[in-house]
Amino acid sequence: MNINKIAYSAFVAFVASLATLVSIQALSSSDRDAADDDALDPITLEELAEHDGAESCWKAIHGRVYDITDYVPDHPTDEEVILEWCGRESTEGWDNKRPGVPHSPRAEGMLEAYLIGRLVDEEGEPIEPGAAAQAEEGEAAAGEADSDTVRLSPAEDERLHRALLGLPLDGRYRGVFGDGGEMQVNVQFDLRDGRLSNISYRHLAYRGEDYRRLDEDDDLFPVWAQHQQLAEALEGQPLTAIFALYEPERLAEDIDGYSGATLRGNKVHSAFRDALNRGVYSWP
Amino acid sequence: MRRRLKTGDMVLIAALLLPLAVALPRLGGLGGPPELWLTWIGRVAGILGLAMLLLAGAVSSRVPGFDRPFGGLARLWHLHHWLGFAAFILVMLHALALGLAAVPASLDAAVATLFPPFSHGALWLGWLAWAALVVFLAPTFDFFGKPHYQRWKRLHLVSAAALLLGLGHALLLAGEAWPWWLLGIAGLGAIAWRKGVAPRRRHPYRVEEVVPLARGVVELVLRPEDSGIRHEAGQFVYLSPLDESLADGRGEEHPYTIASAPADARLRIGIKDLGDASHALQTVTPETRVLVEGPYGEFFGRRFPERDMLWLGGGIGITPFVGGARDLAAGAEVAGQVQLIYLAKDESRAYYRQELEDIAGRVEGFTFTQHFSREQGRMTEAFLREHCPDFTEREIYLCGPPAMNAHLQRLLVEQGVPASRIHSEVFDFL
Repeated sequence: MNINKIAYSAFVAFVASLATLVSIQALSSSDRDAADDDALDPITLEELAEHDGAESCWKAIHGRVYDITDYVPDHPTDEEVILEWCGRESTEGWDNKRPGVPHSPRAEGMLEAYLIGRLVDEEGEPIEPGAAAQAEEGEAAAGEADSDTVRLSPAEDERLHRALLGLPLDGRYRGVFGDGGEMQVNVQFDLRDGRLSNISYRHLAYRGEDYRRLDEDDDLFPVWAQHQQLAEALEGQPLTAIFALYEPERLAEDIDGYSGATLRGNKVHSAFRDALNRGVYSWP
Repeated sequence: MRRRLKTGDMVLIAALLLPLAVALPRLGGLGGPPELWLTWIGRVAGILGLAMLLLAGAVSSRVPGFDRPFGGLARLWHLHHWLGFAAFILVMLHALALGLAAVPASLDAAVATLFPPFSHGALWLGWLAWAALVVFLAPTFDFFGKPHYQRWKRLHLVSAAALLLGLGHALLLAGEAWPWWLLGIAGLGAIAWRKGVAPRRRHPYRVEEVVPLARGVVELVLRPEDSGIRHEAGQFVYLSPLDESLADGRGEEHPYTIASAPADARLRIGIKDLGDASHALQTVTPETRVLVEGPYGEFFGRRFPERDMLWLGGGIGITPFVGGARDLAAGAEVAGQVQLIYLAKDESRAYYRQELEDIAGRVEGFTFTQHFSREQGRMTEAFLREHCPDFTEREIYLCGPPAMNAHLQRLLVEQGVPASRIHSEVFDFL
């Protein structure tokens, strides 16, 4: 077999392989969507919302529900990025891998392996992404309405008491510190009985450097480690402990080695205060 | 002759591996589930394929002398041919592997990976490059029969488009651009040189005489109009006749072996009627101009200078040995003995015989033996033993028709002559 015949055979094999791939795809996907959708298990937003964590993570994307629990550890980004959308209508996150950039066709293909059902409303009708998002909000509102109908007595309603006294309410808070035209700190924390919990940084950057993406051997990594120490030190503390951030050396080790440490404590403090000013982000 | 790695080969290999070496850390390892290792294979195949394509372009510059580190132009053309072939295969493996890598995800994903929306321009540049490859390689690899030489040559220029498109594809998708700029400039620069600069740098000669040697064989005696070329015995040139009365091949370049000694003020070229162009040259008009580009090749590049030599020439393949013998006659120094055995059909086809016998009479250390296949049959071991008893110890040079070459190669190898000591330079560049 000479080189010419090999080249020709390879060429024919290549074209034939592509043609086979394309034709099989065309034939197998022709009347899939509509028919398949009816066969899928209907899943309501309520059921979806029960699977909102790493132990069981469901997501609704473009009207379909996927159980991606097994995939979470393999996802290229930090877990929190993918876990954030668990139990929710996640089309927006799917279509914006980076702002404006959707996930690749390949990722779309991988997603299909985790398909478990289709998203429906209480009447069993399919929900479109936009409608679902509204429904989620509506449900939240409905939740409030429900509690309204219970009508706690003013003598028992602790939330009312705290609000009237100007004390922060229990719930999830988010706040930011920005300077020099850039968002530098974005914190999230829960408040339970006046104590801090689940403190995390949703964003931490300075001059375009995203501290959360640093590797251990990066020069600036200790700064990120210190910020985590700050968060850990505040965990479980009364809310008033955030004033310790004015003197961060009380909360984190090895501050002296890095200039500007006190300033960073101030930034985090400022983000906490911003969160409190904004009020409850989501109810507990 | 192609077994040993030459200096040029090392440079070529280094350049070939450069883009891969730069990209490799980013590609991860060759392991894990199929979608991962197929992706790895696909990317590596793409990187190597494009590097080969660009280097195939780079070695096609045909700058006189540039072929020497590669062991002569004939060998360099073989490298070019193999590089192009391997690139073609790798490019297809590249696309197929990346497509298949998406199959575990889904068929839709696989097809979308290979044929994404047209907004993914970089990927479609890759497909256009492949299409251009097919256009110019199909005739090279005789997909649809053997094309006419000149038409093949024109189509081969589409390679420039394939190189450009492939380069665009890589520059838009690759992480590191500089190795691609480097190889891209080398490849496209070589084509620009070959097609743009080189044709204007050919040496003008005048046809001083057309000496008939036998039926269908002439020797052109060429007189340089400028300084002419400097060459060694056994090298070859590309010759473009400009004679307007030529029936065929006017302005076309074809390779011919130089039969004159380097010291000769004239360039002598033995030409046998083997095709349209060489047929027309039999009656080229004296005092018309020809353009000469070269010299190329290194037929007599001595690998074992301490050994005696045996030259085996047949048919028009006698010309490099005529050049070698004339070189000896002109006083060239040669260490040891040289024996030339001339294989011809009969007396009438043994052109140059008289001159070679004369030289053998005058030059010490040079012996000439005639072999006629009509009387003596095919060359045999017995004939060689009788006329050159130590032929298995000699360094052997072959030049002749393909069937003769193959027969002699077989005969010599059977007698225990290592292949590394048998030299021939066949320029059947198509």
